Amino acid sequence: MQPFELLQPRTLEDALDRLADDEEARPLAGGTALVVLMKHALLRPERLVNLKRIPALQGIDWSSETGLRIGALTTIREVEQHQAVRTWFPALAEACHVVANVRIRNLATLGGNLAHADYQSDPPAMLIALGARVRIRSVSGEREEPLETFLVSGYQTTLEPGELVTDILVPPPTAGRRMQYLKFTTRSAEDRPCVGVAVSLGLEGTACRDLRVVVGAVSSTPVRVAEGEELATGKVLTPDLIDEIAGRAASAVDPIGDVRGSPEYKRRLVQVLVRRSLLGSVTEVSA
Amino acid sequence: MTINGRRVSIDADPSESLAYVLRERLRLTGTKISCDVQVCGACTVLVDGLPVSSCTYLAYEARGREVLTVEGLAHTDGALDPLQRAFIEDNAFQCGYCTGGMLLAAHAYLADEQDGDSGENVFEALAGNICRCTGYVPIVAAVLRVRDG
Repeated sequence: MQPFELLQPRTLEDALDRLADDEEARPLAGGTALVVLMKHALLRPERLVNLKRIPALQGIDWSSETGLRIGALTTIREVEQHQAVRTWFPALAEACHVVANVRIRNLATLGGNLAHADYQSDPPAMLIALGARVRIRSVSGEREEPLETFLVSGYQTTLEPGELVTDILVPPPTAGRRMQYLKFTTRSAEDRPCVGVAVSLGLEGTACRDLRVVVGAVSSTPVRVAEGEELATGKVLTPDLIDEIAGRAASAVDPIGDVRGSPEYKRRLVQVLVRRSLLGSVTEVSA
Repeated sequence: MTINGRRVSIDADPSESLAYVLRERLRLTGTKISCDVQVCGACTVLVDGLPVSSCTYLAYEARGREVLTVEGLAHTDGALDPLQRAFIEDNAFQCGYCTGGMLLAAHAYLADEQDGDSGENVFEALAGNICRCTGYVPIVAAVLRVRDG
């Protein structure tokens, strides 16, 4: 690996100062993606600004009024094991639990995962299904954006040079909300997802009040199945309706063919997994 | 940093991985490098009790922390750790290249189990450690035998 200078700021302000107007500097979070890219000489930053010693970027807060605030430097493992996440967002705990292997989850951070914007990842689809937003800071100020628009393409976000993701915000779930994350791998168990499906379902009695279906890992960003979501509104999710929504999901995606599967194969999987996750959510209701 | 209970002071470049420092500077060659991209688990060490891939973990990040390598598993009087004994009794290795990482991943899993908060089973805990010769049955059997006493 090419030598670099390692900066260790203790405050967010100091880190932002060091990243501003320095195109040769890169922020270092967990390092599980960045260090590999540097080892392969795909990136050769002259300076790394290590964010791990900044307390403001750490921790998870939960309140029933404002929901979850997850500091960007929180590790995937910390999210997966956090009691409030397990209680209120079990599918988010699951989407983090199935990321890679335990060694990576111990280091990789949620903010790093989102800012890196690798399309073959589990948490983004689930977070979009839950309506998550990202809070972003730079020396010139703060802004917030839905994760859905923050992710622009594979490895591309709306982050400008000098901007950092500081927090991930997830609104509190409505009462009785059902949520599911289903990951499908075609190689080893701990592989990146071939397809990931995230579902969040709000109910009014037995009918669907609102539904989000998000397909991850098949296109350059997670894909919301808007047509299918609208079909469900106000209706009871019968097996026939679920079949129709699954069909809409398969048409909504434009899968990228890779070593994990051809476009045709992935499209078929999307249909199967959307159906499976919706049937699972509905079964949970009657249980 | 503290390595296997001993305080160590090293002058390393920020670009040096922990695996490199362990093997080349400290001659602790029980930590193996295989895939070099945090997939295979051969280079697993524990940092403050958590398994990490030392091949991509910057040595600098271990500053002030406690690192446990396979050399530190046996007790100071030379007696093997119960996990090591179980691996021998169950023939849970063949070429041995993955064994150090396997032992440390299992060690962390058993510690989590003792705290009652692992939330996962032995298969999930070892899923990121790859063995290409013994197969996983005797490895899992050895870990479960220690877990269940």
